[in-house]
Amino acid sequence: MSWDIEGDPGGGDDVVAWVQVPAPAESATLDEGSPSTARSPRHAAPGRRPGAPVADRIVVDGVSKWFGDVVAVSDVSFAVGPGVTALLGPNGAGKSTILRLLCGLTVPSRGTVRVLGGEPRHDLSLAGRIGLVPQQETLFEGLSALEFVRFAAVLHQLPDPDAAARRALAIVELDGDERRPISGFSKGMRQRAKVAQAIVHDPEVVVLDEPLTGLDPRQRLHLISLFQRLGAEGRCVIVSSHVLDEVERFGSRVLVMVQGRLAAEGDFHAIRDLMDDRPHRIRVRSDQVRVLVTRLLDRGAVVGVRLEGDTAAVVDTLDAARFRREVAAVAHEEGARLDEVTPLDDDLESVFRYLVER
Amino acid sequence: MAARTPAPSLSRFPIFRLLLGTQVTRARVLSLLGLGLVGVIVAIAIGMAGDEGRPLVEDPVDLTTRGARFVSTFGLSLLVPVSALVFSAASLGDPSEDGTLVYLWLRPVRRARIVLAAAASSFAVAWPIVVVPLGIAAWATQGGTGLVVGTVASATLALVAYTGLFCTLGLRVKRSLVWGLLYIFIWEGFIATANETAARLAVRTYARSVLAAVADVELRFSSIASPWRWLVPVAVAVIALGYATHRLADQDVA
Repeated sequence: MSWDIEGDPGGGDDVVAWVQVPAPAESATLDEGSPSTARSPRHAAPGRRPGAPVADRIVVDGVSKWFGDVVAVSDVSFAVGPGVTALLGPNGAGKSTILRLLCGLTVPSRGTVRVLGGEPRHDLSLAGRIGLVPQQETLFEGLSALEFVRFAAVLHQLPDPDAAARRALAIVELDGDERRPISGFSKGMRQRAKVAQAIVHDPEVVVLDEPLTGLDPRQRLHLISLFQRLGAEGRCVIVSSHVLDEVERFGSRVLVMVQGRLAAEGDFHAIRDLMDDRPHRIRVRSDQVRVLVTRLLDRGAVVGVRLEGDTAAVVDTLDAARFRREVAAVAHEEGARLDEVTPLDDDLESVFRYLVER
Repeated sequence: MAARTPAPSLSRFPIFRLLLGTQVTRARVLSLLGLGLVGVIVAIAIGMAGDEGRPLVEDPVDLTTRGARFVSTFGLSLLVPVSALVFSAASLGDPSEDGTLVYLWLRPVRRARIVLAAAASSFAVAWPIVVVPLGIAAWATQGGTGLVVGTVASATLALVAYTGLFCTLGLRVKRSLVWGLLYIFIWEGFIATANETAARLAVRTYARSVLAAVADVELRFSSIASPWRWLVPVAVAVIALGYATHRLADQDVA
C-alpha cells in the first residue's frame, strides 16, 4: 500500500491521491503551469496524469457550480473510465450537483464537463448514451412500471420498446405484468423502476444518485451486483452514496466529496484504512473505569483520557482496532465489567471532516 | 405465471399522451366542466324568459348582441383563460416542479418537441371542456348560428394564445397559477380595459374582435381588424412556445 500526498503520477489502483483545495485565486495561478500544481486538484485527476488511460469516459476539469451565493461545487477535477466509481460524501457535499453536471441537467459556472467526448448539456445525442437514476422520488404516478420504462424505451427509439422494457424490469426484479400504477409502489419498487428506465437503452454511462435508498438488504445486494456487472462489461458506472459500507461494495474506486470539494480519490480500501488510522474518540463505561484507562494508557492503547464521573471516561486512541482488542483484554485481566464502549466520532461526517482537515 | 397483458400504448406521440394523462385529473375536469355548466344555465336564462319559455327579446339582433356579450364576459374573459391556465401551466410546470421533467429531458428528443407536445396536450384537453360548453351556451342564448360559429372560432383562437402563454408561464415561474390569475384578472381584466390602445395588449381583445366580426355584433374593445385579429393570437402562441423551447434548453432541470 502506498500513499501519495502530492498526487500520484503512476496512478496505481490502490493509491489515494489527496487533494488540497486551493482558493480560486490560487487555482487560477496553478492553471498556468506553476510547479506547485503538484497539489492542485487537476493533478489529482487521473485524466491529467501522465500515462493515464485514454479511455476516460468522463472528464471534469476545474468545475465550479454556484447557485446565487451558495457554492455547491468548488474547483473539482477528476476523470472516470470504465468500471464502477463511487462518489462518496455526506449530505450537501455536492454529489448530486456533480451528477447533474455529468448529465447536462445543469451547466458549470466555471470549468468544463466532457462525457464520452461531448458536452452533455447541448449534445443531444449524448442523452441516448447516458442513463440516470435521479434522487427525487416522484415519477409519473399514473403509469405502471412497464409503461414508465417503455416510455423511456420509446423516446430512445429502441426497435422493440416493449421487450426492452420487460428486460430492464426483469433485471431489477420488477414484474412487467404488474398493472398497479407507480403511485402504489413502495420506495424500493420506485427505486428499481428508476434503475430500469436508466438501463433500458443499454447506456455507456450510467449515473446513479443514491440508488439504494429504500431498498431491503437483498435488493441492495442484487443492485450492487448489477452495478458491478455493468462496470465489468465496460460501462462507466458512477454511483453516489453517503453510506460508507454501501460504497465498499460498489467497487474499488472512490471519489470523496466534502463541502463541494473533491477531498480524495482512489482505492476504497486505502481510504478506509486511513479512516481507521485516524484518531478516534471513544466513550468507555465500566465499574472500574479508572483502573481500565490507567492500564490502557500504560500499554499505549490510548493517548488521552477525560474522566466523566466514577464510571465513565472518554479516551482518544490512534488505533481503534488495537484499542478494541486491548480494552477487552484489560477488562478481563482486572475483572472489570464493561458497560459501554461507544465510538463518538464514527459517523461519516466526522470521517469526512478529518479527511478535509488532514 | 400470470398472462401478459399489453400495456396501453405510448408508442405514438408518447410525450403528448403522457402529458395529457398527467394534466387530466378528476378535480380539474369536474371543476371546469362545472364552470361550463354554469355558463350553459346562465345562457339558457338569458335566452329564455317568460312563463312559457318564450324569448324575452323578440328582436334577433338584440338576442345576438346579448348572447355575444355573455360569451365575451363569461367565456372569453373567464372560462377560456382560466381553463387554459389550469391545464397549460401544469403541462410543463408540474414536471418541472416535481422533478419528472428529467425523464423527458434526458432523452434524445428535441426540446421543441417536448414543448409542442405539452402545448398540444393542454389544448387537446381544454378544447372540449371549454369550447363545447361555450358553444352550447351560445346556442342556448338563441343568438343564432353566427353567434355559435363566432363563439367557437373566438374561443378556439383565444385558447391557442393562452395555451402558449401559460405553458411558458408554467415552465418559467413557480406558483404559475397565481401569476396566471393575476395576469387574467389584473392585466387583461383591469389594466387592458383602460382604452383601445391598452386593450390591444390583451388576448381577449382579439378573440372578442373575432366574435364580433363573425356574429356581426358591436362589442366594446373589439375593433381589431382582419387579419390581425386572427394572426396576433397565433403569433403570441408561437412566440411564447419558442421562448419556452429556448428556456427548456437553457434552464436547470431538477
